[in-house]
Amino acid sequence: MTFAYFNRRLHLYLGLALLPWFFMYAISSVPFAHNQFFEQRDAAKGLPLWTLRSEHTVDLPVPEDPAALRRFGAALLERAGIEGTSFGAYRQGPGQVNVYAYSFWSSTQLKYVVEQKKLTVEDRRFRWDHFLTGMHARGGFEQDGVLQTSWSIVVDVVCAGMIVWIASGLYMWWALRGHRKWGGLAILGGVASFVVFTMRL
Amino acid sequence: MYLALFLSPWILMYAVSTLAMNHRAAFNARYGPGPVAFDTERELVYAGFFPENAEPRAISQQILASVGLDGAHGVTRRKDGAIVINRNDLLTPRRLTYFPADRRLLIEKMPHRPNAFLERFHRRRGYATGYRLDTAWAASVDLVIVAMAFWVASGLWMWWEMTATRRFGLSALLGGAGLFALFLLLL
Repeated sequence: MTFAYFNRRLHLYLGLALLPWFFMYAISSVPFAHNQFFEQRDAAKGLPLWTLRSEHTVDLPVPEDPAALRRFGAALLERAGIEGTSFGAYRQGPGQVNVYAYSFWSSTQLKYVVEQKKLTVEDRRFRWDHFLTGMHARGGFEQDGVLQTSWSIVVDVVCAGMIVWIASGLYMWWALRGHRKWGGLAILGGVASFVVFTMRL
Repeated sequence: MYLALFLSPWILMYAVSTLAMNHRAAFNARYGPGPVAFDTERELVYAGFFPENAEPRAISQQILASVGLDGAHGVTRRKDGAIVINRNDLLTPRRLTYFPADRRLLIEKMPHRPNAFLERFHRRRGYATGYRLDTAWAASVDLVIVAMAFWVASGLWMWWEMTATRRFGLSALLGGAGLFALFLLLL
């Protein structure tokens, strides 16, 4: 087996295996890039985004240490009867903590207003653009659970795959002597435009 | 092929920046969590004048042009009347605060951090800024999206044309699709 043969097969099979992610990142970039269009389209429906699920009286001290906020968020989720979910906990000002619990298909927000000792639980209406952007933005190793960690590992593999496609693609292009001139111009044009954007944006 | 060669810097940037975001905790451990604090760059008395009841947007554009920092930005008027301009420069984001009472202009810049720079690059998009270069960038992002969808379709077609690779290719495709479906159902 020559290196050229291995390179071609690596480019192909890696591409086929990671194709669902590559396609997902492509189409989910549309609602990110044209956010206003999707927001206006949804606003025209006149439907509320969040619906109240429940309200609870909770009296828990909010930790000062930001590192402990995640544990506090987990405690609020437990009070609301939500278990085994990915979530993030954030301070929404000095008197409020918000917790966002999410899966690909649903999203729930918890608002704890310290002074009122009130915990409000709301569910977000399903929207396809949110489903796509949620999938696009999913990553990181902060969540507990094998599946969550596995997804983040695959995200790393997809990134590494993109870098391999670029390197193996360049190798394949260079082997095609008849395409060197136009290919070289395409690379130069791309790199030059990219540098201008980087310096001037 | 030529489109891929042209867009390779964009794909490389999106890959590297995604890696940085996926491992944000490592950068937080090194630099500390939360937003990056601004450093004072310079402070001056702004000599320009504004029309009476000028909108914050008009004020920000005039100030930015005066100090040679014109470009995409956001602007707000604080309760104390100060105008706060966030200049979304990719390499060096700046915050300009204009205090009308004493016509003081404070210019602050964000210290360089590689992960913050990559995230800014990754998130830069949209046609709303009104600046031509930003519009060109937004168009290039749309081009990347179309190209990625096209590569998926053309890649499938090229693979199917190579009969010798159909069996292994189908295994790779089904393996990937199966794993993706599993995540879709369970995550």
